[in-house]
Amino acid sequence: MASIHGLKPSRAGIRGSRRRALALHASLITGVLLSAFPFYWAVIMSTHTSSEIFSYPPKLLPGTHFLENVRSLFDAIDFFGSMANSLLVATTVTFLVLLFDSLAAFVFAKFAFPGKRLLFGLLMLIFMVPMQLQAIPQFVIMARLGWIGSMTALIVPAAANAFGIFWMRQYMRSAIHDELLDASRIDGANFLRQYWHVALPVVRPGLAFLAIFTFMGQWNDYAWPLIALTDPGNVTLQVALSQLNGTHGTTDYGMVMTGALLALVPLLIVFAIGARQIIGDLGKGAIK
Amino acid sequence: MRLSRRGLLRAGLAPAAAAALGGLASGCAVPTGSTGRNMVLWYWSGGLSDTVVKNARARYGSTVNLQAIQIGGYYRSKLITTMAGRARIPDIAGLKGEDMASYLPNADQFVDLRTLGADTYKSRYLSWKWDQGIADDGSMIGFPIDCGPVAHLYQYDVFRKAGLPYEPDDVSKELNTWERFFAAGEQLRKRVPGASLLTDVNAVFDNVVNQGSERYVDRDRHFIGDQEHVRHAWDLAVEAERRRLVSDLVNGTPDQLSAVEDGKLPSQLGASWATFDLKNGVPRTKGRWRVADMPVRPANNGGSFLSITRACREPEQAFRLITWMLDANNQAQGYVDAGLFPSTPASYGLRQLRDPDPFFGGQVTTDVFGPAAQRIAVAYNSPFDIALGQPVKDEIKNVGVLGKDPDKAWSDAMSKCRRIAEHLGVSH
Amino acid sequence: MATVPALEKPPVVVAEIPAVQPRKGLRRYWHLYAAISPFYLLFLAFGLIPVGFSFYLSFHRWDGLGSMEWAGLSQYRYLVGDSDFWQSIATTVVIWALATFPMIFLAMVTAVMLNSAVRLKNAYRVAFFLPSVTSVVAVAIVFGSVFSTNFGLVNALLQAVGLDQVAWLNTPWGIKVAIATLMTWQWTGYNAIIFLAGLQTIPGELYEAARIDGAGPVQTFFRVTLPLLRPTLLFVLVVSTVTGLQSFSEPQVLLQNTANESTFSGGPGHSGRTMVLYFFQQTFDNNDFGYGAAVAWGIFLVVVLFSIINWRLLQRRDEA
Repeated sequence: MASIHGLKPSRAGIRGSRRRALALHASLITGVLLSAFPFYWAVIMSTHTSSEIFSYPPKLLPGTHFLENVRSLFDAIDFFGSMANSLLVATTVTFLVLLFDSLAAFVFAKFAFPGKRLLFGLLMLIFMVPMQLQAIPQFVIMARLGWIGSMTALIVPAAANAFGIFWMRQYMRSAIHDELLDASRIDGANFLRQYWHVALPVVRPGLAFLAIFTFMGQWNDYAWPLIALTDPGNVTLQVALSQLNGTHGTTDYGMVMTGALLALVPLLIVFAIGARQIIGDLGKGAIK
Repeated sequence: MRLSRRGLLRAGLAPAAAAALGGLASGCAVPTGSTGRNMVLWYWSGGLSDTVVKNARARYGSTVNLQAIQIGGYYRSKLITTMAGRARIPDIAGLKGEDMASYLPNADQFVDLRTLGADTYKSRYLSWKWDQGIADDGSMIGFPIDCGPVAHLYQYDVFRKAGLPYEPDDVSKELNTWERFFAAGEQLRKRVPGASLLTDVNAVFDNVVNQGSERYVDRDRHFIGDQEHVRHAWDLAVEAERRRLVSDLVNGTPDQLSAVEDGKLPSQLGASWATFDLKNGVPRTKGRWRVADMPVRPANNGGSFLSITRACREPEQAFRLITWMLDANNQAQGYVDAGLFPSTPASYGLRQLRDPDPFFGGQVTTDVFGPAAQRIAVAYNSPFDIALGQPVKDEIKNVGVLGKDPDKAWSDAMSKCRRIAEHLGVSH
Repeated sequence: MATVPALEKPPVVVAEIPAVQPRKGLRRYWHLYAAISPFYLLFLAFGLIPVGFSFYLSFHRWDGLGSMEWAGLSQYRYLVGDSDFWQSIATTVVIWALATFPMIFLAMVTAVMLNSAVRLKNAYRVAFFLPSVTSVVAVAIVFGSVFSTNFGLVNALLQAVGLDQVAWLNTPWGIKVAIATLMTWQWTGYNAIIFLAGLQTIPGELYEAARIDGAGPVQTFFRVTLPLLRPTLLFVLVVSTVTGLQSFSEPQVLLQNTANESTFSGGPGHSGRTMVLYFFQQTFDNNDFGYGAAVAWGIFLVVVLFSIINWRLLQRRDEA
């Protein structure tokens, strides 16, 4: 991912901008160290036994128990099976959310129609409802539909959300210029063609953000899957990982940490792919 | 925005609420429990011995397909959601001791184990523990798994250096009242600079309350948290603070662990499972610890139950499974595998519990925890205890940590309790 | 109690929506309604009943398993006079403010830096992304150490510059600062990436023009970047408000200590007990589902109030 030659002085640089670039890198590296430190510590913890993790003074260097922790993790849960379920759920939901949210956002950002303010206000209100109390009735609905225990119970309710519509609306308001839409209308493009050929190409960075964070949200989601999935052979990764937390002094934190870290790998891959869409080279990325 | 909200309320909420309730009230359309050979058991990681679960699967494999599922996260909320939703309810469900008070008023959700012949097993279990699984109407919903007898864990060398009794028998005998325990704490502070007897005031308060046979609300739904037994615990906790016997540290933090390791916190009142926390948290103190009786009389902290839900199609079969998994032999195995202290006194004599523990200098800790477990007082646990105990616990913590005036704290706690009692329909 | 046929009612609600609108002319817009419909249909199917149920619940007493008892307005009457709830509102707002404003500032600075044509940007952005996905267990353990009294990094720094130690996790303000720091750490990179996506919509020519006019980087930021970033800023602020006012996992993981203590208590003096933690405590510790529902609706009102304030502050300029 990282290009090693990146630290070489930029060819275009005159002395002043080189100094500025240096200051820029210094600040960014400070930020990176601050960001990555607890992550580094998590890596360290995954290489120690549970009692080493909690002993004082804290361990700052890697230990020797990583493989042992991996082995007990794979013994304790069906890691790859549950990861496949997580991939299925997160990928499907991300795809649906991108489609439904961007369509709705396009309408809210660029079109006028009766009831628009009311409907958008309603959407924002729904966004603000605390979701914690919904488990019991939602469980009843899903049980009636026969979806309890299956991934459908996770995918369908998550297929569109207020957060993504709000985000894409804000993004599209500045990213899609009205002149472009007017021009395409004069060319005789209908709504779907405008959406597909005019809107989508210029909002790729916004979509990439939505994709990353929808995927991440689904990947890490845990409260509802824990209740909706009852068959231990068919759970998502986070539900499987939650089974590792025991009572009192019996939790194997080394193994828990290892599980949490290995669960991050797909997320980092998705992020690396998606982030490339967000940071295009200046001037190339967005609209002209 | 305001308008749309009102619209939302009018348009949707009334029928929606009715529909939701319809769903709840008539769950019979939803298949509950499992059928035929399948027997689903819910518990949590560390709640049962893995070996025993495996052996049970093998032993009963010809008649029952036991599916033992470890539930992650907040166990009780998942169980209640599932039971309220009336779908996919397990046949056998683990119930945590601290949650019993909230299951007992809903005993009709479970099979009364007496109807399956539970009474014949009664004599083999600790009687106070047995009684905790019984609801007000006399039906029995919980079959005892483990218990959590509390004892005095202390560091041998530090006590010796402080001129205190240091052999377990002497500690049990000489520090047998709170006054003597506190006096020892003062001596400790004098002889070992910077040392405190206990981490916080709640260590005194909670344990004194747990020693008694009364909590915060009685059987008649009357608030008794303002009475002598709570006031006594409060006064002792305040006294511990006044005599500067408690540290200003927070349990489980690196500060506290390092103080324990340095011998600055050489004593704690911990349940049997707390020995595992010590072994994990401060492994380098191995060999320095001993166990003695706590002052006055033992208390209980923790322990859980197995229940058979109404959804179970084969209660007799489930009951056979439970009684086997929780017999004296298997409880001894539970102690080895998961630190579950047996509720079957017969286990205390078995080899698995007689092993000298090198972490405790080769002491056989069962010699202390075992007799302690048999001397615990039966207490009535009201479903309102948590709500009405919390303000008192919070305020004693404020005294200890934030230095709040004890009289003000007590009157604040009492006025808050009265308000909550009124709200919950508890008389006071 | 309601009977089974009541379940048939939601479809009626669906049918009502078109009926409210004037009939003619609306056909022109059908494709727009169709395009926004998935969200609303899903809400009708899966969201409305739960929301309605919690509203219904807030007028009852219920322990989660037994039968419900009608309680009228008593839950709400109690809520209004519940000093613990008001304290939790204050706690939440203080933590939210301590976290959100530094976070938005840092995120914007980071985004502008990342948006400059720097090398190594792949590595940087992955690193800034890490905090938002790191396991909460790890974060809790690490921050517990960072803020510990005798051995913590923060107190070591304070002592290095000649200040006194602070018992961070044992004092009302220390707890709030520690929680806010944790949140800032976890979500700055996330928001930086949102801003970055927003920055990408600003045409390069505008920067070119600013440079020709002789504007420095600071001037360019205030005259070009900030005004064009306003929709993104509005989004970040509203989302931070909605999620920040519903925060609970940070205080929960940072302040839970012994197995004995409820993880919803929020530390000494309840200094870190946010509104949602209070909701959990009432619902699950006390088994008081009815009052929990009333608390949830109280939280909703607070969130709506703050969001409207934010919206009004930024919207006017947004439209202008």
